[in-house]
Order: sequence, then C-alpha cells, then structure tokens
Amino acid sequence: MISISANTALVGSYNYGEVARSVLIAVAASYAGLDLAGRVTAARGPVRLAWLSGGAFAMGIGIWAMQFKGMLAFGLPVPVAYHLPTVLASLVVAIFASAVALYIVSRQKMGPVEVLTGSVSMGGGIAGMHYLGIAAMRLPAVTRFSPLLVTISFLLAILFSFIALLIAFGLREETRWTGPRRLGSAIVMGVGFSAAHYTGMAAASFLPASPPSLSHAVSISPLGSYGVVIVTVIVLMAAIVTSSVDRRARAEIQRLNQDLERRVAERTLQLETVNQSLRKEIAERERAEDAVRRSEDQLRLVIDTIPQQIMSGPNDGTVDFANAQWRSYTGLSQEELQGKGWQRIVHPDDREPLLKAVEESRAQGKPYEQEVRRRGADGQYRWFLARGVPLKDSEGRIVRWYGSNTDIQDRKETENRIRLVIDTAPAMLHSARPDGYLDFFNRRWLEYLGVSLDDLLGWRWTGVIHPDDLAQLVDKWQTSLATGRPFEAEARLRRADGEYRLTLHRKVPLRDEAGNVVKWYGSVIDIEDRKRAEDELKRQKEVFQKIFENIPAMIAFFGPDGDIELVNPEWERTIGWTLQEIRERNLDIFAELYPDPQYRQIARDYAVSSTGGRTEFKVRVRDGRVIDMAANVVQLSDGSRLGIGRDITQRKRTEAALREAQENLARVTRVATLGELAAAIAHEVNQPLAAVVTNGSASLRWLSGQPPNLEEARQAIERTVREANRASDVIGRIRALLQKGPPQMDRLDVNAVIGEVLTLAGNELQRDGVVVQTDLAPDLPKVLGDRIQLQQVLLNLILNAIEAMSTITDRPRELLVRSSKDPDGVLIQVHDSGAGVDPGQAGHIFEPFFTTKPQGIGMGLSVGRSIVEAHGGRLWFTRGSSHGVVFQFTVPKAD
Amino acid sequence: MAEQPPIVFVLDDDASIRDALRSLIRSVGLRVELFASPREFLEAKRPDAPSCLVLDVRLPGESGLDLQRELAEADIQIPIIFITGHGDIPMSVRAMKAGAVEFLTKPFRDQDLLDGIQVALERDRVRRKHQAETAMLRERLESLTPREREVLPLVVSGLLNKQVAAEIGTTEATVKVHRSQLMKKMGADSLPELVRMAEKIGIPGSNR
Repeated sequence: MISISANTALVGSYNYGEVARSVLIAVAASYAGLDLAGRVTAARGPVRLAWLSGGAFAMGIGIWAMQFKGMLAFGLPVPVAYHLPTVLASLVVAIFASAVALYIVSRQKMGPVEVLTGSVSMGGGIAGMHYLGIAAMRLPAVTRFSPLLVTISFLLAILFSFIALLIAFGLREETRWTGPRRLGSAIVMGVGFSAAHYTGMAAASFLPASPPSLSHAVSISPLGSYGVVIVTVIVLMAAIVTSSVDRRARAEIQRLNQDLERRVAERTLQLETVNQSLRKEIAERERAEDAVRRSEDQLRLVIDTIPQQIMSGPNDGTVDFANAQWRSYTGLSQEELQGKGWQRIVHPDDREPLLKAVEESRAQGKPYEQEVRRRGADGQYRWFLARGVPLKDSEGRIVRWYGSNTDIQDRKETENRIRLVIDTAPAMLHSARPDGYLDFFNRRWLEYLGVSLDDLLGWRWTGVIHPDDLAQLVDKWQTSLATGRPFEAEARLRRADGEYRLTLHRKVPLRDEAGNVVKWYGSVIDIEDRKRAEDELKRQKEVFQKIFENIPAMIAFFGPDGDIELVNPEWERTIGWTLQEIRERNLDIFAELYPDPQYRQIARDYAVSSTGGRTEFKVRVRDGRVIDMAANVVQLSDGSRLGIGRDITQRKRTEAALREAQENLARVTRVATLGELAAAIAHEVNQPLAAVVTNGSASLRWLSGQPPNLEEARQAIERTVREANRASDVIGRIRALLQKGPPQMDRLDVNAVIGEVLTLAGNELQRDGVVVQTDLAPDLPKVLGDRIQLQQVLLNLILNAIEAMSTITDRPRELLVRSSKDPDGVLIQVHDSGAGVDPGQAGHIFEPFFTTKPQGIGMGLSVGRSIVEAHGGRLWFTRGSSHGVVFQFTVPKAD
Repeated sequence: MAEQPPIVFVLDDDASIRDALRSLIRSVGLRVELFASPREFLEAKRPDAPSCLVLDVRLPGESGLDLQRELAEADIQIPIIFITGHGDIPMSVRAMKAGAVEFLTKPFRDQDLLDGIQVALERDRVRRKHQAETAMLRERLESLTPREREVLPLVVSGLLNKQVAAEIGTTEATVKVHRSQLMKKMGADSLPELVRMAEKIGIPGSNR
C-alpha cells in the first residue's frame, strides 16, 4: 500500500559531472547513429539487415545509456533502486526507436510521411524510454508528472528526432566533409536529446511516500554506473570502428569494381572493333555475289528486251531457244516452240519460201533474209523480215544458227500508202530503169490515156506520142540516159478522148553513193491550156504594143521611185526627146520639163506617190515652149505608175478667150445703164464746163472793172481754154469706155466667131429655154475685122433675140444663126421667134438711146451699126418668115 | 465796232473749179478762201467777219450735205451755197430744207452765184448783229441783282408794280426802285423796248 505522507516534493540535485558525461554519451550515440545510417544505406541484401540490427543495437544502447546516466546524475535524498525488467524494457524501446530511425533514413526516399512517422515514433520511443526509465525507479515516493512538461518533453523528443532524421538522411553519403559535419550534427543532436531528457526529468516530481516494493529492483552502484558508461562507450566505439572499417572496405570494393568495369569496357570495345571489321568483310563478299547475280540478270533482260524476236537452234533446222520477245509475240512457250514448233506461226503462204531460203542458206553457209507473215498471240498476222546468221567454229563448220524477226508491218503499210499517194497525185508519175526501160506508170497515166499498163511498159509508150513530136522526145531521152542529166521535153500526147494535148515531160535520176544512176523518176503534165493562155497573152501583148505606139496620146510608165521607165512615140514627139536620148545624155528629164524647182518637186512627188487621178499641169518641151497638159495617172499593182496625157494648150487658149469674152460682156453690161452712163458723162463733162463758164464770166468782170484788170482776165481766159480741152478729153474717154481700144483688125473665121458668141451666151440661152440652131456655110472666106467688136455686135443681137422671145410661151423659143456668102464677104443672120418689131417704131430702132426695154440701154443697136459700118458692112433687119425678126449684117472679106 | 470785210469760203475737190471761182469772186471785190476738203475747212480758223460757204455737193468721202448737217449740229451758222455737177431734184430739196441759201448746178451763170453770195453775206451780217446784240443784253442781264432779275420777267409780262410787289412779297415802292434800276442797267428807255430785249434773250413770260 502506498501512502502519501507529505505533499512536498522531494528535492533532487544533479551531479553535473554525470550530466556532462550523459551529454557526451548522447553526442557519441548521435555520431554513431549518423555513421551507421550511412552504412545501412550503402549495404545491400542481408548485410543491410545486419547493419540495421547492429546499428539499432549500438545506437539503442547509446541512447539508453545517456538516459540512464542522466537519471543517475539526478540524486535524490532517498535511495533509488531500479526495477530491472523495466530498465531492460526501456533499453528495448531505445533499440526499437533507433531501428526505426535507421530504417527510415536508409531508404532511397524520405518523404514527409516517412519523416513525420519516423520522428513521431522515434521521438515517442525516446520519450517513452525515458518515462519507462522513470517508471523503473523504486523509491519511497510517488511520482507526479507535470502535464505541461511532459508534453514539452515529448515535443522536444519528437522535434529533435525530426531534426536527427533530416540530418542523418542528408549525411548518408561519404564525402570529404561528412566526418566533420557528422560530428557537428551529433553535437546538436546529443544536446537536443539531453534537453529532452532533462525536461522529462523536470516533469517528474517525487512526493514522499512509503517505501516501494523492491522486487526485481537493483540499486546502481557507482561501479555499475561506470560500467554502463564503459560498456556503452565500447559498444559505440565498436560500432563506429566497424562502421569505418566497413566504409573503407566498401570504398575499396568500389574502387575494385570501377577498375573491373574499366577493364571490361576496354575489352568490350576491342571485341566491338573486331566484330565490325568482320561484318564489313561479310558485306563485301555479299555485294560481290550480288553483282554477279545482277549482271546475269541484266544479260537475261537484254536478251529478253531487245526489240527483236530472237531464236536460235542447232544446224538442223530446229530451234531450241527463243527470247522473251519472240515468245510473247507468238504466245508460244519455250516448250511449244522446240524443234519445228516455231514454223507453226508462219503464214501458210510464206512458209514454203521461207523454208526454201533457210535450206539454201544452210547449204551455202550464208545468211538468209525473207519477208514473211507471222501470226501473233492475238491471232493477227504481221509482216516480218526473218533473218538468220550462222555461227561458225574455228574451222568454219556451222555450230549454231541465230535468227531474228523484225516487224516490218509499218513499213509495208507505208509502202502501200506511198503507192496510194503515187496513184492519187494529180500528176502522171512514172519511173524508168537506167537503161531507159519504163517500168512504172501510176494510175493517172492509165486514166488519162485510157490504156492499160501493158500498153506503156518498156518502150511501148511511144505509141501515145504524136508522130511529129516523137523523134525529138526520144532523142532527148536518149541523151539524158547517156549523160545522166535531167530530162525535159514537150510533146503532144493522145488523150483517152482522142485529142492530142501538149504535155511537158520531165525525168530526174536517182543516184547511189557511187554516183551511178539507179533509177529515173519523172512526171508528165498537161500544158495544153497553159500554151493556149500563153498564146492569148502574146496576142494581147501585141495589141497593147500597137496601141502604145500609135495612140495619139502620150503614155509614160513610171517606176515606184518616180523615174520614167518607158514612153510611147507620141510622148517623145510632144516632149521632143526620145527615151534613148534622155538615157544617153543622162538628162534630168524632170528638170527639163519643169524648170521651176518647186513645180518640179510637186511633179516628182506626184510621180512617186500618186494613187491615181486626173491632173493638169504645164510642161516645157524641148524647143522651150510651155504647153498645158492634162493627164490621168493610174497606179499599177506592182507599185509603178502609168500616165496618159494630152496636150491641151489649144483648149486652154480657147478657154482663156472664152473667159475674156465673158469679161467683156460683163463690162459692157456694167457700163451700159443709161443712168450710170449719164451720170458719168454729166459729172465728167460738167466739171470742166462749169470751170469754162466761171472763168469766162470772171474775165468779163475783170475787163469791165475800173480800171480793167488785164492780168486777172488773161489768166481766167487761159484757164477757160484749158478747161475746154479737158472737157474734150473727157468725151474721148467716154467713147473709149464704150469701145475697147482701137479696132484690132484680123483675118477672122466668121463661123468660129459665131461659135464663140453662142458659147458666151450659153447661159442666157439655156436659162430662157431657147433652142439654138446654126446653119453655117462651110467654105466661107476669111473676113477682116476686130474679133471683139464683131462678137459684141453678134452678142447684142442674140441677147436682143433672147429678150424678144422672153414673153413667148405658146411656141418654142427658137434662135437660128446663119452664115452665108455675100457678094462682098460674109452675111450673118440672127433669126428669133419672138413678137417681132412694131412697125411704128421700126424707124427708130437704130437711134441712140432708143429702147423698148424698161432697163434698156438703147445703145446696143446704134453701137452695133456703127461698128459694122466701121468695118465696111451694113446692119439691118427684116421680118421673120413666120415669127420674129431677122437681124442681118455683112462683113467684107479680107483680101 | 468796226466790221471786218466779208469773206467767201469755197470748198470743192476740183482745183480748176476752185481757181475759177476765186477769180470770179475776187473780181467783184470780195475776199475769198479756198478749201479742198471738209476737214480743211473745219480745222481752219474762221475770222470774225460776215462769211458764207460755196460748197460742192459731190466731195470724196463726206458729201457736202453731210458737212451741212455737221455744221448745223456744231451750231456753226454759216450760210451755204451748194454747187453741183448733177441736177438732182431730191438732193436740192433736201439741201434747201436744211437751210442752204442756194443750190446751183454746173455750169451755172456767174450772176446767179454772185447774187447768192450777196444774199448769204447779208444773212450772215444780220445774224452777227443779232448775236452781238443778244450777247450785249446778256451781259447787261448779268449785271442785274437777283431781285432785279426776279422783277424783270414779271414787269415784262405786263404786271403792275402793285401786282409785282404782291407776287414777290414786297412793297410797290421797292418794286418801283428795282424797275427803274433794271431799266437803266438794261439800257431800255421804255417798257416796249425792255420787252423787245427780253424777247431777244429769251426771258420767259416775255411772249405772254
């Protein structure tokens, strides 16, 4: 029974030497533990387990010893004995805790889970060991624990276990610094665990109580305590030493291992090298064998690929081999073709000739060649050129035959096509042998001539040639045969319808490489139409030539560059030079014809670039005259030009005269208004008259002055005289106005004058619808007169006639102009179909200023009469036979 | 004032006519000046003397009638005697209506021309005198005071002094004074004379 006698705790005290020793032990145990961790890690298999057990044992003792020492360091005033089983139990716990720790840190990996469980179990173990130790105490006291300190001591134990595990895991490797580091760590751990222990110790408080049961309890004597220490130290030392021995051994083993590995590697490398060279050799050998195989294959391929069907066999006409081409064409297999089997595929018709040829060749030992048809696998026959050559041995004996078959189907087809072409061509084609024998005529021949081939072959063709042409044809043919030169001849050929047609025969030779003629090829074409066309052309040329030489117009051919290439005789006559002269003298004809450079340039441009048309221009001919030309220029298809021209000088003159006459008419009309005339006269005359009168009056006044001024009077009279003369001049001028200069007398052809006047009045006649008739005597004598004046008179009469008929609407307006011989010269009559002259006015007609026309001058007839009378003729009128008036005047003839 | 001797202008493009006319006109003792074109005539300085113009109708460029019109528009009132080579009635009528003194056709009788010249000169003399008078009267009019100028037309229209005074808002006496003053200034001795003067210078109311 335990009774509590007091409630004050027993006060213990620490023996600091013992404490220090316990701490040292703790450190040593820690060091050992770290060291052993490395060993366990390095060990493999059962050895590992041994190390683990041994290690745990050593470390466990160490820890327990520390704990025990620590407890022994604590002296209580009461005697303390220790329950031995419990003590041993605590030792077991310590060993267990160490084992756990060592196990955990020696594994490959130490994760959080392992660390935590490890720290807890280890820490728990250590703390547990401690409290077991306390529980082993047998003393007259009751142990009370401070929950707080207990907890702290547990926490510390766990904490330092945690630290210890981490450090131990980290220091497993054997490096240079491992030793010192282990030592440092061991110190930390040792101190830590001691702290945990003393904290635990502090947690316990002993309250005096009745003496405990001392069964199984022992008290520890100092010797015992030292003994524990020594044993512990020994154990730890042993552990450490063995550890280091093991380490060294391991290191040595490692080194040996490495060495061994190096040797092994070297050996392996050597073996590798040998292996490689062996392999190369093998590969080469294989390649060589491959090459041999390939060339064998190629050869077979060649034999089978040659686009020839090849067969061969012994010298008995049989065949024992055919290449792939042969076999694939015929469809026969190697077995089927053996012996004479190959003959099966030759066309029945060609078989005999072939075999004969082969037999001959065999007999002569020469190659054979034959065109045969052979049946292909598809059943179709094609043309082949079958050839065979013998293989002879050194003594000339035939050992084997080699044959080839070349497909000539296409060639045969081409040949047929060519034949078709030759027969279809629209020409008569033929060929001949070098001796002149004509051996081929195409179909055209036969159709054209209506004969058969037999009729022509050889020399029989001569039968279709016209007899008259045959000789020269044959002659020429013989010559060509002899000389080898191309043959050409014309001859008439009898056509199928019997008509002889002119044909052109041509043949050319075909020579071989040596230059010998091997064949003649020729054609014949029908040229009858061409000949006819040529003849026609010749005729046309002749016609043209005649025209060219005789036409009364100038023709000139200009080349594209404007130079004169050809002129006709009329051109040469007009211009004055012949083309030959121009060329001989190297005349610049353009310069001669066109003296003006600008004009010349225009002419030249026209010759070069004109595209056609009519033009008029002036040309200077050889004798220096300038003539007017009208020409048409035509461009020819080859770029040259053709000019056709005429000398129109005369016509131009006539036109000029016409223009002048028209101008005169205009002038006469202008001047001839009475009003204007009167005004002109009045003004012109009145001026000097007024001056005369005024000067006269003035002089009278001067004379009647007082005294008379004789000087002034004299001057005035002088002026009078002058002015009077001026007046006379004016009159003269007026007359001149009405009359164009003095009469110019010429020998005139009256009919020509009449013609000119009718042209002048042409407009008026046409406008008034007057029908003009002329009755001009052919052989009138020439008259002497002023052309202009006579024209004036006649024009006036005709205009009067037109005027007289202008009111006539019920009958045609007819004007008749007649010229006839008169005893003195020529009589001209102008007959109109107007109303005629009023008898009452008949007497006044010729008076000046007499007119019946509202706008009339009244000058025409009076002037006309004076002109005619000035010429020595007479002007009068008579009544017309049915209507109108006939004005007549005579003009004396020129003598 | 001393009068300058009269002068006759001759304008004709024909030199012989000009010379003949000069001789003729001088033979009766008149001064004469010759011109060949209207330009010449217009540019010449006309002397201050009675004058007239002997003008040919047919002139190159501007005709005589055109010149007549031009002179009229320029208010050059010189009397014109036309001479012409034609006897164109419409032309002569036009010329006369436009104020020509005479229209003679060549050849004309010397006496006809001289007579025409006399008439023309006389007309010109009268016009000049008339102009001189009018100018003088205008001068005198200028010398009137505004008031007198106001009174004048009223007096001339026959109003009594009393009426005049009423008209202008003054006394009769004042009017009387104005009247006597203006009469003196104008140089009129009597009312009728004053009225004649007023007519001459175109005072409104003077023809009432």
